[in-house]
Amino acid sequence: MTHQIEFSAVKKVFGTGPGAVHAFGPVDLSIKEGEFISLLGPSGCGKSTLMLMTAGLLEATEGKVVIGGSEVTGPQTDVGVMFQDNTLVPWRTVRGNIELQLEMRRMSPQDNKNKIDQLLASVHMEDFADRHPYELSGGMQQRAAFCQAMIHEPKTMLLDEPLGKLDAMTRERIRSDLQKLWMQKRPTVIFVTHSIEEAIQLSTRVAVITPRPGQIERIIDIDLPFPRDFEVKNSPEFTAYVRETQEIFRGYGVI
Amino acid sequence: MESFNKKPIFAAMKLRLQNSWMFIAFFIGFFLFWEYAVIWFDIPRYILTPPSLIIEKGAADLDRLLYYTYVTGVEVVLGYSIAIILALPLGLAIAFSSILKRTIYPFIVCIEMVPKIAFAPLFISWLGFGLLPKVIIVFLVCFFPIVLNAILAFNSLSEELTLFSRSTGGGVWRTFFKIRLPAALPQCFVGFKYAAINATVGAAIAEFIGSDEGLGFYIQIVTGNMRPDLAFAGIFFLTLLGLCLFGLVTLTERLLIPWHISVRRG
Repeated sequence: MTHQIEFSAVKKVFGTGPGAVHAFGPVDLSIKEGEFISLLGPSGCGKSTLMLMTAGLLEATEGKVVIGGSEVTGPQTDVGVMFQDNTLVPWRTVRGNIELQLEMRRMSPQDNKNKIDQLLASVHMEDFADRHPYELSGGMQQRAAFCQAMIHEPKTMLLDEPLGKLDAMTRERIRSDLQKLWMQKRPTVIFVTHSIEEAIQLSTRVAVITPRPGQIERIIDIDLPFPRDFEVKNSPEFTAYVRETQEIFRGYGVI
Repeated sequence: MESFNKKPIFAAMKLRLQNSWMFIAFFIGFFLFWEYAVIWFDIPRYILTPPSLIIEKGAADLDRLLYYTYVTGVEVVLGYSIAIILALPLGLAIAFSSILKRTIYPFIVCIEMVPKIAFAPLFISWLGFGLLPKVIIVFLVCFFPIVLNAILAFNSLSEELTLFSRSTGGGVWRTFFKIRLPAALPQCFVGFKYAAINATVGAAIAEFIGSDEGLGFYIQIVTGNMRPDLAFAGIFFLTLLGLCLFGLVTLTERLLIPWHISVRRG
């Protein structure tokens, strides 16, 4: 059974009656296993809403989400989630925070010690395992949060603007780490962002979402070889993708 | 735990002393001014006594002061402990029950508006001069800040952590002990500390109204006898009692939540 994610006529309305807000949809989308898809759009277009509905953390008002053949009706546990504000708890060290993910799932931290070490090393965090989150920079915190979201090797990763609060240089570096990890483990990634460049650099496909009510305006296949380093961004192909995306947003008056 | 407070204790004390010399100087200056102002302005001894005399006369009456500190201490500790034991579970229950939140919670908020001390004469008249009415009044004074802060504490888990714990499928208990409870502790301690400050106030006023022992009783009697020196000695021990309780709560806080910003900055 392939682990495909299918959205059919998914729609989300917040509230009822005249005050109801039509946030999103209806949207049809099919995401293949191992794909890295970005939901790209201005803030308030319902990208996060779609992501939360995929995780079963928010119920769709209409339509359905199907993962690997079964309909999402409650919280999905075979996922790793990450948000702009990370889910590291301040009373645990970096290692303790990664172990928290395992403990919550009744998995043994001892048995997974090597895996934690490897994962930390892959994001250059091996020297900070015993630090508390408040001793780390924002970028390091997000690296630790990546490890926390991946340690249980979920088939699907839902990343909601994980680099949103970081400075441009740190973003650049963490993007390449993220890409490396994705290429190694090949989870299906749904990546929410409002950075056009980020979406194009990381994704196999970019779903361009229009302002409220959020709808998929176009899905762009990014046909560039991986790994995509800094150089790729100067290529004419990359620039063409950026322009294509910009045109869509310009049409909507977003930029 | 070891990674907190890495500074050696003596270095930390030295630093603290360096930072607080102005305060210490002011403190000493205040008492010197008091000492000599009483003499210079020729204030009668039955109105105000110099600090040196308070120490002298207080030391002479130390036995009684210590015994009354013990009496008031028992009232404070009992009332405070019972308040924590009852308020914390109730706060937890209200935080997680929508029915309780709509019934008991607004009721508690209303009662919070009532000055609890106003009940003191009633409790004394109902229950007499003994220990019980004092414990009840200390309890009343401490109960509300603890319960209200507990409700706030258990209701303020961040949206991200709530979603995270749901995505792990960790269940109610594991989520509670591994995430909700530790996350709630700092706000709970706000209530504990506020209550600790008010506990001695409650005990002293209850003793003013009706009692035959305790520091509040002592302060009232010696003031009636025109002995401000002994009244100040009583106030000193009452303050000491409050400081001990507050210190104990702060120490517990340091041990339980060394990671919290208020503790790290302290």
